[in-house]
Amino acid sequence: MSNVSSNAAVAKRRGPSWLGGVLLTLISAICAAVWFFPLYWALVTSFRHDDETVKSFGLIPENPTIDGYLYVIRNSNLPLWYLNSTITSVTITIVAVFMAACAGYAISQLRFPGRQLLWWIILASFMIPVPALIVNHFVIIASVKLLNTYPGIILPMLVTPVTVIVYKQFFDSLPKEFREAAVMDGANEFQLLLRVFLPMNWGITTALAIITFIGAWNSFLWPFLAQQNEKMMTVTVGIVAVRDSFGVFYGRFMAGAVLASLPVALAYLIFQKRVTQAITLSAGIKG
Amino acid sequence: MPYVELKNVTKRYGNVEVINGLSLGVEEGSFTALLGPSGCGKSTLLRMVAGLEEITSGQCFIAGSEVTKTPPAQRGVAMVFQNYALYPHLTVRQNIAFSLSLARVPRAVQDERVGRVASLLQLEELLERRPAQLSGGQRQRVAIGRALVRDPNVFLFDEPLSNLDAALRSQMRVELAKLHQEVKTTMIYVTHDQVEAMTLADRIVVLDKGNISQVGSPLELYNMPANRFVASFIGSPAMNFFPATVSGKSGRDVALTLPGGHSATIISRGDRLADGGVEVGVRPEHFKLGDAGGAGAAFDGTIGIVEQLGNSTLLYVDTAAGQMIVEAEGNLQVASGEKVGLTIDHTRSHMFGQDAQAI
Repeated sequence: MSNVSSNAAVAKRRGPSWLGGVLLTLISAICAAVWFFPLYWALVTSFRHDDETVKSFGLIPENPTIDGYLYVIRNSNLPLWYLNSTITSVTITIVAVFMAACAGYAISQLRFPGRQLLWWIILASFMIPVPALIVNHFVIIASVKLLNTYPGIILPMLVTPVTVIVYKQFFDSLPKEFREAAVMDGANEFQLLLRVFLPMNWGITTALAIITFIGAWNSFLWPFLAQQNEKMMTVTVGIVAVRDSFGVFYGRFMAGAVLASLPVALAYLIFQKRVTQAITLSAGIKG
Repeated sequence: MPYVELKNVTKRYGNVEVINGLSLGVEEGSFTALLGPSGCGKSTLLRMVAGLEEITSGQCFIAGSEVTKTPPAQRGVAMVFQNYALYPHLTVRQNIAFSLSLARVPRAVQDERVGRVASLLQLEELLERRPAQLSGGQRQRVAIGRALVRDPNVFLFDEPLSNLDAALRSQMRVELAKLHQEVKTTMIYVTHDQVEAMTLADRIVVLDKGNISQVGSPLELYNMPANRFVASFIGSPAMNFFPATVSGKSGRDVALTLPGGHSATIISRGDRLADGGVEVGVRPEHFKLGDAGGAGAAFDGTIGIVEQLGNSTLLYVDTAAGQMIVEAEGNLQVASGEKVGLTIDHTRSHMFGQDAQAI
């Protein structure tokens, strides 16, 4: 009897839970559709003829074409812009993440005069929006004659306070015995960082690297100001420049946009599993 | 000459003095326990020997060399931490070999030494696992292996068994004792658990508020506590204490008047006995149960709580001097509320003066 009543109670509990699951799935599906539709529309538009773009609102192109893509590839410096974006984004990712890890480690683990002040400065810089610094960056980079060069794009984008903050908080959360055990084992500070602290949670580094890479690849304002030479442009700057030369050609413009965002989308798709796996693994760190 | 020696060591954190001019020598090959309650400075002392804490003033010597300012890795010491501190991203093999790989020891030598340690600690089957895949006892063995592989002059243990359950702790105690017998390396072991200290160490240093209260073998501390603190800290159940008045002396025999009007005679340790009040300490097993109002009884009392432990029976007896814990034989048949008389074993009882020192 008690079994029957307890089963009934379980069934009663399961009812609303099942309904909630369906509702949640529906809401998630709607949100996903709203988020995905502009991307889909850009993709569809890139395969349409321009006269169809202004006349038809169908979800599928009537006469699909890759003319837009062929035109962009043949009549622009897209491969060169890809190369420029790759060089700058990869460099920014590697250097910025490594510098942030070092800075976060130093502020978290080392004791030196001015440590607290440095930490407050980093926190304060986090609150200053990048556009507010653009003019200063331009004047400084121009004065050292680095406009239209890779270092000119890269240098101002290496300062990433949020990455330092994330690393600092992570290193703070590790039990001090890890450091002490490694010190007893004879590790110096670099060995501590590179062989103990960072490998304990590659998930954080992977996630920060992907975020930094996507940010660097997608950045527009600073590369737009720092590069006036078409051959030094990054993809995001280049496709805007060619839009003007194309005139109003939606297909070509959207093909350029799709090609520009393709590496970022691929990077996320490739590393998505790695990010999830790393975060899952790091959740088990207890010592 | 002691193998590990601390000379007049002081440790201050700001204005707070944690260790007050302490001097201590540890003999080579000994197993020394630093025992005391939380906050007594025992872990700080160990960490100063390890080099993880700076010594505010004083000197530290290991194997005859001063190491007061020497970095931890160059002191020839290895430490086992309370929470093991195993690197979670490395396998057991990599954890044990970590110090060797930092020192760029050739791979073949690393493998040989890791194999030797793994064999000693029965870790061969676990070498490719990660710490998260090990039980508490296995993790503890890996932590010991990581220390052992460095072939240190001194092992330092900072409450290494406190995260284990009672059964595993007991098993690991035996393994640690065996390990010490095999490697014969000097070991300094911090614990607040007197059972661990008594069973493992050949020498115990009892610390109280940053000072050494007494140093001695486990039985010396148990049978001849130097002061009230050591007497109360060593032994479980704890020693019973009650006030008494000195009513006469004959050589080392001291006649005492006890609360409730009964009298008893206790043998004092020396001549440092003053007239007036003293505090008497009697271990639970040094009370003898008798009939209420019986001749020679120090107290008459009523049994409150009875705890049958199998090998012994603990009785909580309410007397004129307060509640006394009495340890009696295991198969004793008594009931709560029963009237009893308590007789003191006068050769094994202790007296403490106004300054809490044994007299």
